[in-house]
Amino acid sequence: MKNFSRISDEFAQAWTVTLKDIKVYYLRPGMIMFGFLMPFFMFFSFSVRREMAAGEGMSRLLALTIFFTAAAAGPFIIPTERRMGTYDRLLAAPMSLITLLLGKIAVGAFFAIAVAAVASFVGIVFLNGTVAQPALMVLGIIMGAFTFSAMGLIFGSIPTSNPGDVQMPSTLIRWVLLFISGVFIPLADMSPVARAVSYISPLTYAQDLMNHAVLGMGELNLWLDIIVLFVSGILFLLPSIKLHKRGRVLGY
Amino acid sequence: METRPIMTNAIEVKNLTKYYPATGSGQAFLAVDKINFTVEKGEIFGFLGPNGAGKSTTQRMLTSLLTPSEGQIRILGHDLAHDAYPAKGQIGLVPEESNVYTELTAWDNLMFTGRLYRMSKDDRNARAEELLKIFGLWEKKDVKAENFSKGMRRRLSIAMAIIHKPALLFLDEPTPGLDAQSARAIQKIIRQLSKEGTTVFITTHQIEEANQLCDRVAIINQGKIAVIDTPEKLKQTFQQVQSVEIAFTGTPEGIKEKLTALPEVSSVIKIGDKWRLYNDAPPILLPHLVKFAEEENLSILSLNTLAPSLEDVFLQITGQEVGTIKVPPKPNKKRRKGGKR
Repeated sequence: MKNFSRISDEFAQAWTVTLKDIKVYYLRPGMIMFGFLMPFFMFFSFSVRREMAAGEGMSRLLALTIFFTAAAAGPFIIPTERRMGTYDRLLAAPMSLITLLLGKIAVGAFFAIAVAAVASFVGIVFLNGTVAQPALMVLGIIMGAFTFSAMGLIFGSIPTSNPGDVQMPSTLIRWVLLFISGVFIPLADMSPVARAVSYISPLTYAQDLMNHAVLGMGELNLWLDIIVLFVSGILFLLPSIKLHKRGRVLGY
Repeated sequence: METRPIMTNAIEVKNLTKYYPATGSGQAFLAVDKINFTVEKGEIFGFLGPNGAGKSTTQRMLTSLLTPSEGQIRILGHDLAHDAYPAKGQIGLVPEESNVYTELTAWDNLMFTGRLYRMSKDDRNARAEELLKIFGLWEKKDVKAENFSKGMRRRLSIAMAIIHKPALLFLDEPTPGLDAQSARAIQKIIRQLSKEGTTVFITTHQIEEANQLCDRVAIINQGKIAVIDTPEKLKQTFQQVQSVEIAFTGTPEGIKEKLTALPEVSSVIKIGDKWRLYNDAPPILLPHLVKFAEEENLSILSLNTLAPSLEDVFLQITGQEVGTIKVPPKPNKKRRKGGKR
């Protein structure tokens, strides 16, 4: 009973952190620029003058926005809070580190889900896209949002109080993943070497899952996509925990 | 039924050591070196030291924000290394920088903290109203903290730290940079909290503040605790440290060296427009000072003999004036939160 009460408290605390961050950070210029506008700019700059079916465009837009938006929150929010000293308030509170991290993951995930809703609207209304499996699309958006938010948290956990130290490497790595993951160049068109490299990126599986959901077909097995995204989301927590512990040793 | 021993200490620290490992271009650095002390329940305990002495590093370890390299910390009977959760629920923390959420209103800041400490809605509403009234912020409860002055943010920061009625409150440099009115208001609140049974641990380099507020003080220097006692006993211990404070009409060149060369003077510091001369025997020094003024064609504006102050004790122990920075080797090229290195 005591354990249940503790677990219930921890979930409530994670939710408290999430709600606070939504109020404080969602309308910050950094979040709007890196999380909302950039994925759309990237998509439209890539799509202009390219032959692309509506459904294909929508599938790519969704994968791109979930990935870029979800992963943008952690690298922005945590170093900002470290600089302002507000992160100490959270670390000193009676909750576990995992609770705090889950709260932070949810911040990025909800932001990505909201932006993906906008992307879906753009895809259906402006690109005339149709969705083969709407429920699978919703599941894919939610899974992808949480997984990539957990990935962004790794960068946010780097012991520094300067968001600039984190934004640069996180943006660079996100760009690299975009190019190797079948978002801009479909897996079917890749060389065997490029295709082998793409398998190391979880974005590959998110894009394939979106293809299953929107187009009704993908290159990989649907269950493989789901399992890889789920497992990646959990594995991404481990370096974040390790980096936070390192931060406590170093004094951040 | 489990019986717990009667616990009188709010804080117990044994052999606490913090060693920052070498990172990047930074050197390894011993910030806190095997310190031991206890703080009794209900006490106001001052932790004094020059910048870089290890004060903030110690406080960050006591609040579980920093992992000690060695040693043991017990907070309210709980071993912080293995049983931090119940201890953290009874701690309030006011860091040096007022860490309020500037995008939120004063009310929302308090509600957030109350929720984080799992207070019921009724309790947090009642407590927030009570605190905002005590801290003079009730009229501003719906104003975002970004529109607050530094003093108001400080008061809000303290209100957030005590909303859950912690048994132990940590304050890091509570009043520097505040106007006199805000500083007095905060000191009054600290006294009130102590009266209500809250243990208060103040990290400061404001000697006078520690003198007025604290039941006991520890002076830490270069990572080691040099002395722990009540302010009065410390002053008695250092009774031989006396001083004469003098103000002249002018400041001729080389006056400090000339004053230092007078008989029985051990050191001279300038405080505002006055010179403070530390010496063992003011009666012997006074005629020499009068003669010095005549020779230098200076008029004496004021002349006082002073009993030892806590500041003098601090100066004797640390060899540094209050607030001066003695920079140890930097552990990292980037500034760490652990102290002002």
